[in-house]
Amino acid sequence: MDFFVQQVVNGVTLGSVYALIALGYSMVYGILKLLNFAHGDVYMIGAFIGYGVLTVFGGAIDPSVPVPLLIVCMFGAAMLGSGLLGVAIERFAYRPLRNAPRIAPLISALGVSFFLQNAALLLFSPNFRSYESYELEGGSLFLPLNAGALQISPLRILVICSTLALMVALTFFVGRTQLGKAMRATAYDREAAAMMGINVDRVIVVTFFIGSALAGAAGVMVGLVFQRVYHFMGFIAGLKGFTAAVVGGIGSIPGAMLGGLIIGLAEAFSTAYVSSTFSDLIVFAILITVMLVRPTGLLGKADIKKV
Amino acid sequence: MKKSGSLLLVVALTALALAAGRASGPASASPLAAVACDGLPVGFMGPITGPVAFLGAEQLHWAQYALDSFNKANKTTFTLQQADTQLNPSLAQTGGTKLVADKSVLGVVGPAGSQEVQAIGALFKKAGLPYISASATNATLTNGKYPTFFRVVGSDKTQATTDARFMVKKLKAKKVFLVDDQESYSTGIATTAQAVLRGLGVKVDRQSVNQKVTDFSALVSKIDDDTDVVFLPWQVAANAQLFYQQMREQGKKAKIFGSDGLDSGDFKADGRYISSFARDIRGTPGTAGLIKTYESRYGNKWGTFGPPTYVAIQSMLTAMKAACKDGKSSRGEVLRSLRKVKLAKTILGLPLSFNARGDNPHAKFYVYQITGSKRTLVG
Repeated sequence: MDFFVQQVVNGVTLGSVYALIALGYSMVYGILKLLNFAHGDVYMIGAFIGYGVLTVFGGAIDPSVPVPLLIVCMFGAAMLGSGLLGVAIERFAYRPLRNAPRIAPLISALGVSFFLQNAALLLFSPNFRSYESYELEGGSLFLPLNAGALQISPLRILVICSTLALMVALTFFVGRTQLGKAMRATAYDREAAAMMGINVDRVIVVTFFIGSALAGAAGVMVGLVFQRVYHFMGFIAGLKGFTAAVVGGIGSIPGAMLGGLIIGLAEAFSTAYVSSTFSDLIVFAILITVMLVRPTGLLGKADIKKV
Repeated sequence: MKKSGSLLLVVALTALALAAGRASGPASASPLAAVACDGLPVGFMGPITGPVAFLGAEQLHWAQYALDSFNKANKTTFTLQQADTQLNPSLAQTGGTKLVADKSVLGVVGPAGSQEVQAIGALFKKAGLPYISASATNATLTNGKYPTFFRVVGSDKTQATTDARFMVKKLKAKKVFLVDDQESYSTGIATTAQAVLRGLGVKVDRQSVNQKVTDFSALVSKIDDDTDVVFLPWQVAANAQLFYQQMREQGKKAKIFGSDGLDSGDFKADGRYISSFARDIRGTPGTAGLIKTYESRYGNKWGTFGPPTYVAIQSMLTAMKAACKDGKSSRGEVLRSLRKVKLAKTILGLPLSFNARGDNPHAKFYVYQITGSKRTLVG
């Protein structure tokens, strides 16, 4: 039983990261019907921004500011930087192609992805960088808390709680605010929304900003809990985030959250009960099964077309 | 008419493509083609950048140092021609193709990893190009498939046997958690170690994990509380460090043991055991002056990867010098000469020669325990 619960903790931590990445895919797809394949690389840039802030403040062993402030600065800078990067990508790579055939922005997205990967390679070299967060507060953030037989470190609790807080904030924003309503209206029918006086360009910019900021937060979380950042880290994580978005129902915000958790848990349980060699196989088998049984994803809704 | 025109076009394009392919393929120099020895380059292949750049930089510095020392002592003019592999087989193939195409390259030192040797093996065999690795340890590399391959260090079979026996005899291990990283270097060591451990009555839990995964915690959860040793024959030290941190995070107390691939400052587990294909030459009689000069040039951040590279360059240049007696040489001559190289004493404290398979019969493995910055030879 303890082993099972431990795997739940492992899966939820990993799933939290996938869910945050999936949200970006889902939000952009919901509004623009565009698969933003550069999203995984925005997450990678976020992780590097967090690393940069950590380095500027003296590193994990002896930071020049209190650790809670340091972590807030890392999240803040990564979310802001990634958000602005997302806006720039939309402005220069997608907006000029908004009325082009759907394949054009897709190719553009792949181009941006390769551009970001290679830019990071050039700027940061292919070497692994480590957050060394196990040195923060003398290593106490990595030591397990006493929770019976369950082993969970404060950093994992931070990741899970931050993800929950961000998801609640996003749900509130989309459901309750004026801009959130405009986002939903744009997702439902972009032309009609524009005719009703909604500034669609502004809505799209905000969508890219929020989705990319969440990816930036995911990047810092990965750096804090799993340490290593490198130029190619966005590829696999982006693929898993995309899978999570599709499993949950692309375009659906709760679906992205659910999909992320399912993929994270599937990975943890397949490693624990089958073999880590087959964990990717199992994750993508879930994707295929969901696509066969429910092509719109678990919480996705089929498009109603006027015939 | 239209149909036959199209057919003609397809045939013409195919012929053009084939011709272009032939023209742009690696222009391999003949093993017998002789070139003038003045300023002859020796190839160097290593992970100069990438996730194990520390290793490549160390090997490169020691290679350059060995080359300069050899030239000075022998009044020769050999130079070094670098190829960065990033420990990636496909990049090794790209770099290897360039070296093969350069007819003035008669010998190569490197690459660092076994999977890279496998990637370039057929290419170098075809070109008759001799090469010596200072760190590739996979046992199958010297089974005759790569007849121009040599190595300074011992094979994984020796390493795995040394490690497994150490775990049982010195660490009194009854249960070992063994994880390979799905690369040929790692699976080779893991398979032999598993067999030796089981033969000695140890219970082995064998696992396998891709090094591109984000998280090892689900795997770490599988380590039983009564496990004595966790053995990671891996090559990416940052990953081993994460594995160790996640062990601590889950309260796992087993001792952690890494193979030579983890002998890096990025793997910082306190009290870790590391097997190494070379003795730490600090303290080896007769090396103090050599180390002092090296450190004045390249600094004091080096470990066990550099000195074997020094010996590899020394043996390759000895072979090239012998093959250059008439002022000209070829790959075939260097290969024959390399097979005869005998160094009675090297900076590793051991003699060097090569047997018919390209192995150094004098090579050994050592086990260190590292606590903080203190490195103690324990086996």
